[in-house]
Amino acid sequence: MEKQPVIEVEGVTISRSGERVIEDASFKIIRGDFVGVVGPNGGGKTTLLKAVLGLLPRDSGMIKLLGTPVEQFRDWRRIAYVGQDSINFDQSFPLSVRELVSLGRINGENIGHRLVTEDWRHVDEMLEFMGIADLSEKRIGQLSGGQKQRVFVAKAMVRYPDVLFLDEPVAGVDPETQERFYMKLSNLNAQKGTTIINVSHDLSSVFCRMNRVICVNRKINVADIGDEAGFTTALKKAYGDHFHFVFHEHMCEGLFEDDRPD
Amino acid sequence: MTDPISLLGYRFFQYALLGGSVAALVCALIGLFVILRKESMIGDGVAHISFGGIALGLFLGVNPLITALIVAVLSVLAIGYMRRHGLAQSDSAIAVMLAIGFSTGLILISLAGGFNVDLFSYLFGSILTISTTDLLIITGLGLVSIVVVGVFYKELLSITFDEEASRLMGVPVDLLSNILNILVAVTIVLSIKVVGMVLVAALLVIPGLTALQLGMKFRDTALAAILFGVVSVVIGVFASAVFNVATSGVIVFTLVAVFLVTAAWRRLT
Repeated sequence: MEKQPVIEVEGVTISRSGERVIEDASFKIIRGDFVGVVGPNGGGKTTLLKAVLGLLPRDSGMIKLLGTPVEQFRDWRRIAYVGQDSINFDQSFPLSVRELVSLGRINGENIGHRLVTEDWRHVDEMLEFMGIADLSEKRIGQLSGGQKQRVFVAKAMVRYPDVLFLDEPVAGVDPETQERFYMKLSNLNAQKGTTIINVSHDLSSVFCRMNRVICVNRKINVADIGDEAGFTTALKKAYGDHFHFVFHEHMCEGLFEDDRPD
Repeated sequence: MTDPISLLGYRFFQYALLGGSVAALVCALIGLFVILRKESMIGDGVAHISFGGIALGLFLGVNPLITALIVAVLSVLAIGYMRRHGLAQSDSAIAVMLAIGFSTGLILISLAGGFNVDLFSYLFGSILTISTTDLLIITGLGLVSIVVVGVFYKELLSITFDEEASRLMGVPVDLLSNILNILVAVTIVLSIKVVGMVLVAALLVIPGLTALQLGMKFRDTALAAILFGVVSVVIGVFASAVFNVATSGVIVFTLVAVFLVTAAWRRLT
């Protein structure tokens, strides 16, 4: 398949409340990339993600989603996003897990139509895939933090998007669930060719699982994971010179060997 | 005391039951969305704004429900506009529109020669004097509202749960918010004859609040809200006729009683 850019960012500067949060960002993300977005807290990771999705205004620069300037982009069927604060919903909201995940099947083309049998089949498959089928009739407010995260990821993935944006999807979830979650993402990336952009604090998951990294701390530095020197430089630029990340190929062993994308 | 069964033979009583049930059904359904959007005050606001519309109708000599409907729809669109363009927060926007509607109403009423029985029937409801025209307006608007909610069910649920996420899924959020607000205006106006503008917010909000106590999924919560609303109105209409007390008072009293019993039952089990 031809390597088309799914996201193009050029010379983008973003200010919030008069302060520059992102400065002159330029990068491209190619179809099939599995990208980790890392950087210190308050460095602008979420801002960058939201700007790419057209949710935040910018001072200057150009952003294209799947080849279209984000302002004119309408093909939302192909995009899915799980925000950092997704799980901070009104906990008494009367929605079952299955009802919520089914809302993920809404797209620009079926507005005003009922969901069809095929939609519900995808919903049930995705509940199964994410290991939450037994929770499907539970109210979303009754779930644990980790279960809620998985429900929201299921809602995003049930669209079978071409590009999946995740903002710290497994923050605060136990390591075992995190590991299973990343394994599912790797499968999705490898088998369905889904481009994934994942904000994470977990550098070893980024190193072991993903193929590119975007380091954000007002300035943007992009590196291929395979390029160890480039990766180290990018990390130091984001976290400071004192930052040291030790690479050991074997730290990915056992955990991820079987399904690691190359 | 009047025999409740023999009442069913009277046309005014049939109209009361039918009109009241339709209003209760639509109020409960729309009200659930309003509660979950944390906009419960819009019901009370629109009801007071409608006062201006009712006064206009009485002043001009046309059916006050029609003028109230026009005024109410314009005002919810204005509230939405003020909110989207940062002119005012939702609750202050409602307060401004409420003031405009109510003060205009007072001026028109005094110009028209002061308060009369007609006006009181809109203020406090007069379900037992629903005319054929009123019934047609109520059922017609009710049917339209139910159909619109049915058609946009999943999108309305989606924007109620999370506007930003809905926008990213290609849902026309602003358009649907406007549609929902117009439905609120329609619902309030069609319920004014039933419980009056002073108590109409109760019919909008309490059935949904009661159903939310049960902790069910959305579809079942909506069905339960409708059931609570309709049953309360039917009980209220019968009880008020039998004991000869104000219908709107009994309806809202029943709504509150059902709410309290449900809440207590949930706490105890």
